[in-house]
Amino acid sequence: MSKLWLIAKDEFRRNVYKKSFILALLSVPLMLAFNVGIGLIVENLEKNPTPIGYVDHSGLLDHPIQAYDENSSAAIPIIAYDSEDVAREALLTKEIQALYVLSADYRTTSNVALYYVEEPAGNATSQWYDFLQANLLANYPPKIAKRLIEGTRMTIRSPGGIIEMPAGGPTLSSMLPLITSVAFVFLLLFSSGYLMSGVITEKENRTIEVIVTSVSTNDLVVGKVLGIVAISLTQLITWILIAVLTIAIGGNLLGLTWLQDLSINWTAIAKVIVIALPSYVFAAGLMFTVGSTLTEAPEGQAVGSLFFMLHILPVYMIVTLVENPLGIQTALLGTLPFTALLTTGLRSIFTDIPLWQITLSVAVQTLCAAGALWLAGRAFRLGMLRYGQRLRIRELFRRQPALEERRTS
Amino acid sequence: MHVVEIQHVAKSFGPVKAVADVSFEVDRGEIFGLLGPNGAGKTTTIRLMLDIFKPDRGTVSILNGPMNDAKNDLIGYMPEERGLYQDTPLDRCLIYLSTLKGLSTAEAQSRLEPYLERFDLAKHRHKKVKELSKGMQQKAQIINTILHKPELVIIDEPFTALDPLNTQLVKDVMRELRDQGAAILMSTHQMHQVEELCDRIVLIDEGRDVLYGPLDDIRRRFSGHAVLVRAAGELPHIEGVEDSARHNNALRLTLASGVSPQQVLQDLMAKDVTIEKFEIAVPTLDEIFIRVVKEGDQ
Repeated sequence: MSKLWLIAKDEFRRNVYKKSFILALLSVPLMLAFNVGIGLIVENLEKNPTPIGYVDHSGLLDHPIQAYDENSSAAIPIIAYDSEDVAREALLTKEIQALYVLSADYRTTSNVALYYVEEPAGNATSQWYDFLQANLLANYPPKIAKRLIEGTRMTIRSPGGIIEMPAGGPTLSSMLPLITSVAFVFLLLFSSGYLMSGVITEKENRTIEVIVTSVSTNDLVVGKVLGIVAISLTQLITWILIAVLTIAIGGNLLGLTWLQDLSINWTAIAKVIVIALPSYVFAAGLMFTVGSTLTEAPEGQAVGSLFFMLHILPVYMIVTLVENPLGIQTALLGTLPFTALLTTGLRSIFTDIPLWQITLSVAVQTLCAAGALWLAGRAFRLGMLRYGQRLRIRELFRRQPALEERRTS
Repeated sequence: MHVVEIQHVAKSFGPVKAVADVSFEVDRGEIFGLLGPNGAGKTTTIRLMLDIFKPDRGTVSILNGPMNDAKNDLIGYMPEERGLYQDTPLDRCLIYLSTLKGLSTAEAQSRLEPYLERFDLAKHRHKKVKELSKGMQQKAQIINTILHKPELVIIDEPFTALDPLNTQLVKDVMRELRDQGAAILMSTHQMHQVEELCDRIVLIDEGRDVLYGPLDDIRRRFSGHAVLVRAAGELPHIEGVEDSARHNNALRLTLASGVSPQQVLQDLMAKDVTIEKFEIAVPTLDEIFIRVVKEGDQ
């Protein structure tokens, strides 16, 4: 095995067996599971399959039409009572969860009395009104009745027609580009930490001189980066698998409607990914640079948190982003390093980002990434033999640095 | 052909001249001492040898040519600033580092076993490095330096933190390596260890080699034309002796120019002095070191 792979393997092993890695790996799935769990709880709290009853003094429901298919699992039985006394008795014995009484003059007054012991669940109330509506519209042609029952149907569509929100608000499908960018930001956060500690480890343990006289600096740097990329890929693949599993379980087994019928906008996701890749390299280069200038791992973690804050800066400007997703400020945030990734994810929900803006952003991120890599290599060579002594940032840009660079091949 | 050949190397870091002009050679099968006061340029010289730094001037030849990546595997280096991965079990750490020196994992494991036994570290092999004492870590670093059977061993302060028993063990190991043909370059401030182990030395002061050659020659060069004499009773007046001073349990007689120790011995014999000890006064390496460095300062 070449020395480069030995370094990569060791870097991978050294990190993945740590508790902190397991915690980082599980943090995103746990967050997902928590959100799905909360959604499930909220949906279940709003459901009660106990029948509802009614007494009709108006004659509207003499020949009732069911709004729902009776065989549907979501349908609640709706029971007609001839007398209010019998119906009230059924309510008290909890045979029914709510009792609706239509007054004799219902057709003119729309008066309905509701009786309950505990407030009826949301699904019971909505089914009752759907039932009532269906019967009120019984004399209309079926097509018109159906459309009236459906009510307002609003679809928000981007000018190009690529972004569409049939429900009038963001769906999970439209949120996927944002979720992708957030996943990358977290990935950056975690792997950046590994990168910094990866560089500091050798200095902290005083092994750098032994290592650089065993392998070339290039093998060392590339080996470490490969090891850390492998860690990041392990995280990303695990997260994707868990997300797919969550969607499958939540949508199909648990019946969570917001996880069903996902239509993925691959174009928007691709736009996020092309910006995410150079952004990742940029952040990795910067972290490597910082790691080379510091002397202890905890210092690196503090700087890592600062970089994370810069990445999530667009969240604090969400009002501007939502109100004017094609505005100059938004376009600028989508181009600048650090903010580009999350801004692109957020904008993708509300607009179809022009291709030239994506191209410009990719170009800027790529240039920054190249600069960061150059800086990383320089910082590593200058800082590797500084034990317990910080390398000042301005030294990185001096023409004649305090320490000569080592050969790099 | 020399294993190490350094010719007039110089290295500056900005305005600081770390090495001004250093030349020396190290041969196979010898233990060579690289000596000098703190800040003299020893570590920079070693780093120039290993191509960690590039020299501003001069040439460096290691194992018959310029340093390159392939030669990394033929060199064992224990630097001044040294350590092992503190959170890693000892055996895993040593095996990993030796695989970076070109050994396969299986080879490293089989070579490690006898060394762990010999250095009394076998029962600590699964402990994390940080759980070991300083002396144990020092022994582990020595194992790490020689496990891949290097042709050139560069070792900085090999006896730090070692008790007399382990010091002896390390000395034995170094002699064995020398006898097997390895070239050993040792940098230390423990002059008595240099006197005991080294065949030749170079003394660097303020970035220049100020003393270089076989240890015996250097000591003779600094003998100062004096003899140590211990006799039964008082010594009579001896011709050609300029000065006499007590030196341990003998007298140190400084001889006048043109007077040989043989002449003094003959005079003593002629005067029927009972001689218990007669030897040419050779200074210790400590004394030579101090003298050379002080002269340099002046």
